[in-house]
Amino acid sequence: MDGYQGVLVCGELAEGKLAPITIELLGIGRKLADELGEKVSLLLMGNPIGHLGQEAIAYGADQVFVAEDPLLEVYNSDAYTYLMADLCRKINPSIVLFGHTDMGCDLAPRLNGRLGGGLTMDCLTLSIDPTTKRLISTRPVFGGNAHATLMSKSARPQMATLRQKIVAPAERNDSRKGEIIPVEGKIDPSIIKMKVVERLKEEVEGVKLEDAEVIVSGGRGIGSAQNFKMLRELADLLGGAIGATRPACDEGWVPASLQIGQSGKVVSPKLYIAVALSGAMSHISGCLGSKVIVGINKDPEANIFNVARYGIVADYKEVLPALISKLKERLSK
Amino acid sequence: MATREVFWNISYPYVMYLLAALGVAYWIYSLYQRYQLWRIGRPDECTQEIGKRIRVFIQTLLTEILTHRKFLRDPFPGIMHFLIFWGWIILLLASAVDAFTYYANLHLVGTPYLWFSLIVDIGGLLVIIGMLMAVLRRYILKPERLNSVFDDGIITALILIILVTGYMVEGLRQAATELKTHPEWALWSPGGFVFAKAFEGMDEESLRFWHQWLWWFHALMTIGGFVYVGLVFSKFQHILVSPLNIFFRNLGPVGVPAPIDIEKAETLGVGEIKDFTWKQLLDLDACTNCGRCQDACPAWATGKPLSPRKVIQDLKVHMVKANKKQTHSSESVPTLVGEAPTEEEIWACTTCAACQETCPVYVEHLVKIIDLRRNLVLAHSKMPETAQLMLRNMQSRGHPWAGIQSLRLRGDWTSEIEVKVLSEGDRVKTLFWVGCTGALAERNVKATLSMAKVLKAVGIDFGVLGEAETCCGDPARRAGYEFQFQISAEQNIETFKNHQIQEIITMCPHCYHTLKNEYPKYGGAFKVIHYTQFLYDLIQQKKLNLSHALALNLTYQDPCYLGRYNHLYQEPRQVLQALPQIRLKEMERSRNRSFCCGGGGGHMWIEEQPGTTKINQMRLEDVLKTGADTVVTACPYCLQMFEESIEHKGMKETLKAKDLVELVEEAMEATRT
Amino acid sequence: MNTIVCVKQVPDPEIPPAKFKIDPETKKVVPPPGVPPVISVYDERAVEAALRLKDKHKGKITVISVGAGKVSDVVRHALSMGADEGFVIEDGAFENLDSFGTATVLSKAIQKIGGYDLILCGRQAADWGAGQVGSILAEILGIPVVTFACGIEAVDKKLRVRRVVKDGFEILETPMPSLVTVSSEIGLPRLPAGMSLMLARKKQIPVWKPQDIGLDLSDLDKEKAHTEIIGLSIPTRKKECEIITGTTPAEAAIQLAEKLSQLF
Ligand SMILES: Cc1cc2nc3c(=O)[nH]c(=O)nc-3n(C[C@H](O)[C@H](O)[C@H](O)COP(=O)(O)OP(=O)(O)OC[C@H]3O[C@@H](n4cnc5c(N)ncnc54)[C@H](O)[C@@H]3O)c2cc1C
Repeated sequence: MDGYQGVLVCGELAEGKLAPITIELLGIGRKLADELGEKVSLLLMGNPIGHLGQEAIAYGADQVFVAEDPLLEVYNSDAYTYLMADLCRKINPSIVLFGHTDMGCDLAPRLNGRLGGGLTMDCLTLSIDPTTKRLISTRPVFGGNAHATLMSKSARPQMATLRQKIVAPAERNDSRKGEIIPVEGKIDPSIIKMKVVERLKEEVEGVKLEDAEVIVSGGRGIGSAQNFKMLRELADLLGGAIGATRPACDEGWVPASLQIGQSGKVVSPKLYIAVALSGAMSHISGCLGSKVIVGINKDPEANIFNVARYGIVADYKEVLPALISKLKERLSK
Repeated sequence: MATREVFWNISYPYVMYLLAALGVAYWIYSLYQRYQLWRIGRPDECTQEIGKRIRVFIQTLLTEILTHRKFLRDPFPGIMHFLIFWGWIILLLASAVDAFTYYANLHLVGTPYLWFSLIVDIGGLLVIIGMLMAVLRRYILKPERLNSVFDDGIITALILIILVTGYMVEGLRQAATELKTHPEWALWSPGGFVFAKAFEGMDEESLRFWHQWLWWFHALMTIGGFVYVGLVFSKFQHILVSPLNIFFRNLGPVGVPAPIDIEKAETLGVGEIKDFTWKQLLDLDACTNCGRCQDACPAWATGKPLSPRKVIQDLKVHMVKANKKQTHSSESVPTLVGEAPTEEEIWACTTCAACQETCPVYVEHLVKIIDLRRNLVLAHSKMPETAQLMLRNMQSRGHPWAGIQSLRLRGDWTSEIEVKVLSEGDRVKTLFWVGCTGALAERNVKATLSMAKVLKAVGIDFGVLGEAETCCGDPARRAGYEFQFQISAEQNIETFKNHQIQEIITMCPHCYHTLKNEYPKYGGAFKVIHYTQFLYDLIQQKKLNLSHALALNLTYQDPCYLGRYNHLYQEPRQVLQALPQIRLKEMERSRNRSFCCGGGGGHMWIEEQPGTTKINQMRLEDVLKTGADTVVTACPYCLQMFEESIEHKGMKETLKAKDLVELVEEAMEATRT
Repeated sequence: MNTIVCVKQVPDPEIPPAKFKIDPETKKVVPPPGVPPVISVYDERAVEAALRLKDKHKGKITVISVGAGKVSDVVRHALSMGADEGFVIEDGAFENLDSFGTATVLSKAIQKIGGYDLILCGRQAADWGAGQVGSILAEILGIPVVTFACGIEAVDKKLRVRRVVKDGFEILETPMPSLVTVSSEIGLPRLPAGMSLMLARKKQIPVWKPQDIGLDLSDLDKEKAHTEIIGLSIPTRKKECEIITGTTPAEAAIQLAEKLSQLF
């Protein structure tokens, strides 16, 4: 349509290799392109990165644009936006895909502002409308309470950032053929208005409660500070944080700052595992926003089961070790 | 005829008068200085309605001060003070009579003289006994609440010395005179007589010599006493300052802070000592550090840093210090909060009013604490995190409950029973005001529904606001977030007026207090009744048929805002008594001495500070002592607090917490089904 | 230092999930009755960020909000926190604006206000959460944009912005004026207090119509929308709790692990 053609994937690197999300994007990009009968291209920006082109082709790219410049070595919004806008204007892709990552979240909307396309962020699914051949995307809205489906009528390119780890990565096939195209032209340093002056790695012990995507919470039934270590292990495994009910904080098993509830913190993680806590309303009101609540309690009548999605009625000491070892196994796959 | 010579053996008595005049003058000057110190405070409304104040004061004097009603609640110190108080009154009156008769040439002679001597001596004796009790208590028994300072020792010693030397002087005179001539007269002055007997062997000259010396010593000690009391502004000043404080005390409802006038306010709340009103500063001096408030305070009892006694005393020390700094140097005034009292102390208060209720000299702690909170919150945004969360919720959602509260929304309960939910333009005479907790907290909704059923059963025409009801503003006001309270008050008053409401029945004692006692200042004068009053009236009118036997052993928790704030002790008890087959056993601390549940003053949401135990757990122990199987209350906070402490104690099977109206509804059930 | 903060009014995001209703026909959310809308959480933090800068460097904070209905409450909220001035841009045509549309309207209003050193937006709205308005707005205005800020300082006519990234922070330097989008890591917004709270109640909040800011409504024509919502649904969520049983607790745990690993 109107000369816009093909799927362009904005590539990302992780420790000198193609980032997992890029391989995922190549997978879905391939699918979309096949439905349209068009090509998949990948843009790689960095310095030096030429060696990755072939790998990208193996993952399904028909074309790999390689932009190498010292100014592209680390992500810079000004430089990347400039370069990508320039490329898009040249090759007029119909669809541009990004990962919903630090870079994608920054770059995609800005590029969209520059190109006047139609962008959907944090997509869960991407597909092609069979009749109009337009890109259809779904994304969570209202804090996940609803899902919206979006489409662009005429704005091009159609852009999306895809949530990580929700589509299968592309299969590698080293026999695939493709083209590696160096992006011409140096970046004029004067377009770079903002620069990163410092990077700080955060050395927090575990994840902050408010930001955690997974929270493992313990109640009075845990019994001791020592036993809380088991919860900590589970939380660490899932990249989450631990929380607690008031009695657990009162007993001094965990710091008071971990109290969740009416007179503590209000959290809304994706997964809330409530262990040996009864689910008193004054506690639950602090975590009802969680997407999935799991209750582990030996009392089948405990209120936690009224709000939980999954429950196990048993002594948590018999549940957690098995849960931890099984999850370890699954997550390492 | 029996009599004695005034100024016997004393030459130049006018020297004594001169010195006494100087001593008293200095003492008066010290009071004046103190008056100046109070005047650094802002004006206070308490100077209005002097006529009424005089009436009330006389009433208080007769019913409370002279009888020592409040003091005697605590027997040992009560009796102690009673003896000292009445002893001094006798001594003072006697001295006055003595002086008057002497100068009016109406010498007391004969039997009246003898009786007079006896009464005077008994007066002194009462004081001595009282003072010895004081010594015993302060220095030997040492109850926790007493915080002894140097001044306590000095004045105790001074009083004892003055009294004993008084008797000695009398004894020396008797030994030199009447013991020889009319020994039977001496018996009428038993205090002196003891000493007279001891001195009997001495010759007249030594007796005269010692008499003269001791007389002057006694006089100088007394005059020195005045100087001392003035110099250090001793606690002894309470004899004058405390009655003054009682005179100027708040005559309105308890614990109602003054509105902040946005247009004019220069400071928000109390940030410096001069932001208090002068009456609030007078309060500080009226306090005698007796510690009754500390004994009554639930925060203190559970190991929190707050002692109302200490707050007042610290503020007093600060007042003097801050004033010195201000007048003597350009140094800025020391900050108030942090130095005296600390933020932790200020936030530990549940505004239960037990301190004020017990204070014999009517010190008003509550409003001061709210004033201090106001400054912290409004001017410095300093408050516990959980307080901030609560206030944010009030601000954005119109209620103090955390964002997602249960699975309920404000109006949900109205779908569980048919009630008239007022919409725009509807008019109704009687409004049933549910309150945030009654509408949102699962447990309390049950009580709300019970009340609605009762109202319907007795055929009252009433309306509810449903989802349009918002917070009354109580938690915001107690937490010092005055503006939010003001916004709530103005909004609610407008709503009431729009629906032409005349009468409001509230579920919650906190709403009750706020609507009834605080809204009038914002132009909202409605007839506000708590549901216990309403039920009581129904029972009086025999409109409630309570026939279903409940067979329960009850004890009743007096909600602070119902009892101490509004003196509704009788109504809820009468309703309970009307329930068939129940036994009501009072807790040891009940009615005006009832112990808080821990949920007032915003503490339903503000996390209790660490202490030795939680307030609700301590109160549960009181309940358990009664052997009751059901603890009844009439406040949603108390109900929540008991539910939690019962759960904590693992006693859910044997002890239930109930709202009064739930029992009433149960008792009515039989009549309808 | 002059800051303009863009704020949005959203349905209370803390509506209990069970009460969350939508109308699939009109593709709109039906807020439960009696739950007033609130200021979008990130926008409130943007206001806080502006106030912190003002505490240090003085200056003026102007708050603007675009809406189809009555949105002055959120502007008033920002004023009560301590912002100096507020404007509302209102028109029925603003209903269902996409990110480009919103950014266009905001850009016109900002050009009318002028004289800014910094523009702040929330990182995304708490309702639709598109997460692009700030960046598009910056592009329209032709100024740099830094996203996901958790700290902003002004040093020598430049802004030092702390940006949240996956494993820590980066500190960026950007000239004035720039646009910064604010993330929640910046910390809790202050409780509206002091005089500003009371004064904000009485303040007039001017309402601008499209013509007041030189906006041609035809630019917002539906046909020209960059994205369009074609469907809205509530993801099916099992209300009932699924009790996982096994012959032993450990076995139940293994089943649970299987279910949970599907979430990741
Ligand atoms: C004003 C107020 C404010 C409050 N604010 C908060 C708040 O902010 N946050 C908060 O958390 N609470 C708060 N509470 C307290 C709240 O009401 C509850 O008391 C508390 O949440 C209960 O904590 P819990 O579930 O850990 O303990 P419990 O209710 O005692 O529950 C313990 C549970 O553990 C289970 N259990 C015991 N042993 C085992 C085992 N070995 N294996 C499996 N299960 C076991 C038991 O069956 C029981 O269900 C507040 C209360 C009040 C009154």
